[in-house]
Amino acid sequence: MSEDTELIEIEEEEFTSQLTTPVLKRIGGLLKPHWKWVLGFFINIAIVSGLDAYFTFLNKQIIDQGIMLKDSARVMQIATIYGSFILLQAAAVFTFIYLAGVLGERIQYDLRKMLFNHLQDLSLSYYSNNAVGRLIARVTSDTGRVSDLLTWGIVDSTWAVMNITSSTIFMLIINWKLALIVLTIIPVMMIIAVEFRKRILEQFRISRRANSKITGAFNENFQGTRVVKALGREDENTREFQGLTSKMYHASYRAAWLSALFLPTVQMIAALALGFIVGYGGLQINLGLMTIGGIQAFVSYLTFMMWPIQDLARVYSEMQHSIASAERIFKLVDTPPEVHNRPDAVEAKTLLGEIEFEHVDFFYEDRKSVLTDFSLKVKAGETIALVGPTGGGKSTIVNLLCRFYEPSKGVIRINGLDYMDYKLESIHNKIGIVLQTPHLFSGTVRENIRYGNLSADDAQVEEAAKIAGAHDFIVTLEKGYEQGVGESGNLLSVGQKQLISLARAVLARPELFIMDEATSSVDTLTEALIQRGMDALMKGRTSFVIAHRLSTIRRADRILVIENGQIAEQGSHAELLKLRGHYYRLYTQQFRHQLEVAYGVVEEEGEKEKVISEAVAAD
Amino acid sequence: MTTLQPAHEPALTFDFRPTLQANRLKGLWLMMSDYRLSYIAAAIALAISALSKTYTYILLRFFADDVLGQKKYIGDSLTSSLIWIGLGFIGLAAFEGTFSFLSGRLAAYTAEGITRRLRDFLFDHIQRLSFSYHATTPTGDLIERVTSDVDALRRFFAEQAIGVGRIILLFVINFVAIYNLNAELAWISIVTIPLILVVSIWFFKKVTKAYEDYQAQEAILSTTLQENLTGVRVVKAFARQDYEKSKFEKDNWGKYLKGKILLFMHSMFWPLSDIVLGFQMLFGFVYGANMAIRGEISIGTYIAYLGLVVWLIFPIRNLGRIIVSTSTGMVSYSRLMEVVKQQREPLLDGRHQPEGAARGDLLFEDVSFMYSDGKSDVLKNVSFHAKPGQAIALLGSTGSGKTSLVNLLPRFHEYTGGRVLLDGVELKDYSRAYLRKQIGIVEQEPFLFSRSIRENIMYGVGRDVPMEEVERAAKAAAVHDVILTFPDGYDTLVGEKGVTLSGGQKQRVAIARTLLKNPRILILDDSTSSVDTETEAEIREALNGLMQNRTTFIIAHRIQSVMIADLILVLDKGEVVQMGTHAELLKDEAGMYRRIYDIQTKIDVELEIEIARAN
Repeated sequence: MSEDTELIEIEEEEFTSQLTTPVLKRIGGLLKPHWKWVLGFFINIAIVSGLDAYFTFLNKQIIDQGIMLKDSARVMQIATIYGSFILLQAAAVFTFIYLAGVLGERIQYDLRKMLFNHLQDLSLSYYSNNAVGRLIARVTSDTGRVSDLLTWGIVDSTWAVMNITSSTIFMLIINWKLALIVLTIIPVMMIIAVEFRKRILEQFRISRRANSKITGAFNENFQGTRVVKALGREDENTREFQGLTSKMYHASYRAAWLSALFLPTVQMIAALALGFIVGYGGLQINLGLMTIGGIQAFVSYLTFMMWPIQDLARVYSEMQHSIASAERIFKLVDTPPEVHNRPDAVEAKTLLGEIEFEHVDFFYEDRKSVLTDFSLKVKAGETIALVGPTGGGKSTIVNLLCRFYEPSKGVIRINGLDYMDYKLESIHNKIGIVLQTPHLFSGTVRENIRYGNLSADDAQVEEAAKIAGAHDFIVTLEKGYEQGVGESGNLLSVGQKQLISLARAVLARPELFIMDEATSSVDTLTEALIQRGMDALMKGRTSFVIAHRLSTIRRADRILVIENGQIAEQGSHAELLKLRGHYYRLYTQQFRHQLEVAYGVVEEEGEKEKVISEAVAAD
Repeated sequence: MTTLQPAHEPALTFDFRPTLQANRLKGLWLMMSDYRLSYIAAAIALAISALSKTYTYILLRFFADDVLGQKKYIGDSLTSSLIWIGLGFIGLAAFEGTFSFLSGRLAAYTAEGITRRLRDFLFDHIQRLSFSYHATTPTGDLIERVTSDVDALRRFFAEQAIGVGRIILLFVINFVAIYNLNAELAWISIVTIPLILVVSIWFFKKVTKAYEDYQAQEAILSTTLQENLTGVRVVKAFARQDYEKSKFEKDNWGKYLKGKILLFMHSMFWPLSDIVLGFQMLFGFVYGANMAIRGEISIGTYIAYLGLVVWLIFPIRNLGRIIVSTSTGMVSYSRLMEVVKQQREPLLDGRHQPEGAARGDLLFEDVSFMYSDGKSDVLKNVSFHAKPGQAIALLGSTGSGKTSLVNLLPRFHEYTGGRVLLDGVELKDYSRAYLRKQIGIVEQEPFLFSRSIRENIMYGVGRDVPMEEVERAAKAAAVHDVILTFPDGYDTLVGEKGVTLSGGQKQRVAIARTLLKNPRILILDDSTSSVDTETEAEIREALNGLMQNRTTFIIAHRIQSVMIADLILVLDKGEVVQMGTHAELLKDEAGMYRRIYDIQTKIDVELEIEIARAN
């Protein structure tokens, strides 16, 4: 788990929720489809705890009716009952562990499925407002906590309540006066137990928080090792670090000894009662009101009552956090997707037509405008290059075009019709996109390319790779197309990832192609391959490119310089250069930089010459 | 002038290097030094606590047999003996509770204390390992060791070692107690114990394996989830929601199935062992009851036996679990020792320990360098002389040896041939601490720490710096005005939770950091690649200020930054192919420098042509 996610979890754990009927009802609703399972483990746990108390009672019977009366046959009789109940109890133990455990897994499975599926439907805006770490915590730890409450929470509290109840019943049967006295101390024990749990949990949280800071310090120190060494910061760092470990030490130590104090305290209260029972019970025996077996039974009922009380305290203190988790889950599931199909949406037959932005405004929830009064008409097959500073609004234009977001004001028309009247899927499945930081999925190269078109056969995948210029490097990989790319593709270089995502877009046969060029430099050969792949892709398609490379910019039919959410300049390369404005400055700077990078690498000089001549020839 | 403070290793309480042992148990024992007494005390407290519990049942026996049965009273009446016995129970419970608490507290003190100093040691140790160790060890792997493995050791001391002790003590004490009541009864009560122990070890080994499978599947699920969430734009752009749902469904269901297997194992083990233990107990009960009927044992003995036998039998099941889990602690010990055994870079060793700052006169004589794998020379016969205050430019392609050359100066790496003299004394005779004090490094993309900007600038000065001085450095580095635009000014946090600085801003903060350090020798990685024109001019100005009166090595990528140098070294494949000033080098028409220069001018010409064409 990443450090971020862990920190988020620690933070969120601090939220507790009070029990309210609607939330409880809804949590209970999660059990509804599985009520037979719940009933099953409920009955079995009841059998287990009832039998536990009964066994103690049977021991009393052995003493009173067997030993005291010197009746061997009676002992055997009781032992037979005892033995068969041991078997019965074992069967019940098996059943409740299996039922509750599997049900817990099942509820987790259900919740995760529900959350994941809903996340797929949510709009991009939801993702920009919620950190990925937070969403991951929702699907992993929150579901775990809820399913634990619904299964082991119920198991433990049922067992505890049943255990206390049946013990009480047997005690009442043996001697009701003594039993009533014992009963008065149970609430005291409960309150103390709950107070302890709260304090222990608090210390645990402090310690976990310190722990994640320690991990952060390690991480930073390892990554910045060159600076640390160069500045001779070792001693100072160790001193600072000792402050962190000291904090963690105190919290964990405190949590540990509080835990160690917890049971003895509860035990001590039980002992007071025990002392009383022996004293009082002894008198009763003398008066003939109580048997020796009875006293023994009281002693063991009381001794073993600590465990159910401990369990109840735990369930109680964790329940509030589990309910907070459930509320977070429900909140996510209740969020409606912002971008969705209109009721009378029609299938978009083609995107190859006129695309028009008409006085489009866009702002996020904070209402700070990202795009203002943006108008643009694009003809089918045109290539539009978007240039300009970071944060100027280039990505927003592309996101709006893909309908990841919808305009806050104004209209976007495709083929004359407001694109919100089209079905979302029918727009998306005609778009091919290549991101600045190409995103691949774990799996093989082939699977990643096939993502563009799931029904493509191997030959088509390879064909697409060839068109995108990715084939040549793929076959040099040890396992070729079957090579695993690692988590998020991190076994491949940036350039290679880009080539694969190009191939993926080629395979999708999009009508509208969108590319966000990478700023990081890749080696010249890969660069040329990417360029060729892009050319192949743009042929006969409407394309929007957030461009950083000169050759891309120059090849565009139209260049838009986007600044502060508006078009600062637009036109062809030659037209814009003549203006000697924004574009001119951007271009000359970029031009110089690009050639310098190319020449700076001395040993690849020959290669660079080629790029230069290409660049000049292309003009 | 810098005041030279002796770099000393902070007073760490414990050195873990001697705990590196082939015998892992011995190593763990050595780690416990200083804490052994408290740990032994924890064990003794545990024994006292267990004994008190046992005596509760013995007292119960006395109560049943002597007081109730034979009317042997303490004091003169039943009432007074009942009071005494009642007090006895309470006293024993208090004893038991107190010592069980003490034992828990002492064990926690030991475990947390050892862990704390282990963490401190590892942090300190790792940052003192050589530069090449850091360069070749993945951060993730180290993090894993210093977090998970340290925690596994903590659990070894906090739970496992003491847990094994607890169960063994309970077993021995209660066995002896029952044995004293009746030997026959004692032996028949433990008939099935070996069986349970063996089976539980076998089971927990299996279940550990199944649990790892389950965790692995959970990890797969997390990856799928993470990739899906971070790649949401790709998913949406290709309209692959359904595909993603089915992929997640597969992993999710897989985890459900793995969980089912795990649960099935648990739901078999616990009731089956319940049956064995239950019948073991019942057998003892019946046997004991018949002995009591025959008068071989008293009723009080029988009652005591009922209580004692529970503590004899049931903990054994958990012994299997703990024994299996100790193997994790052992593996972690070995993994940590792999880090502990790494050689540190001695920071202070050096025959020559000058008082003041260096002058900055550097003489390279036939210097060669190759990595310890000895494959190929990274630097070959490099000779040149840098006089105090001079600027030396290093020009060459990636892999030509520029970075390796400057890495020799702070002794990040040791040259393998020839010699380097600083102020006439060989570099190897200086301590690393001294050299690093004299050298400042400004990298192209400098590493800043996730703390405030002020702390980042002060980082590495090793003394308290007044705010004015920090600001002066920031102004000289042309970053003061930028800092003031941030919401919290100098207190703005850098990094994830604070502001994200641009490459140029980071570089200028690093320049301020170096200005404050005031080194005699400067290493500049001068490739202002991803910054716009305005920033470039500002950085250049800041750099020029920084270079004043310092011997400066510039790792250069372009002619402009090289031209001002007093000496230019053109490097190719680890060798100096050309050396001289800009003017001198330009004269060599066939030289590499001239070629690079020509290209640079060609760029300007091309740009002109380009624009002319557009017009």
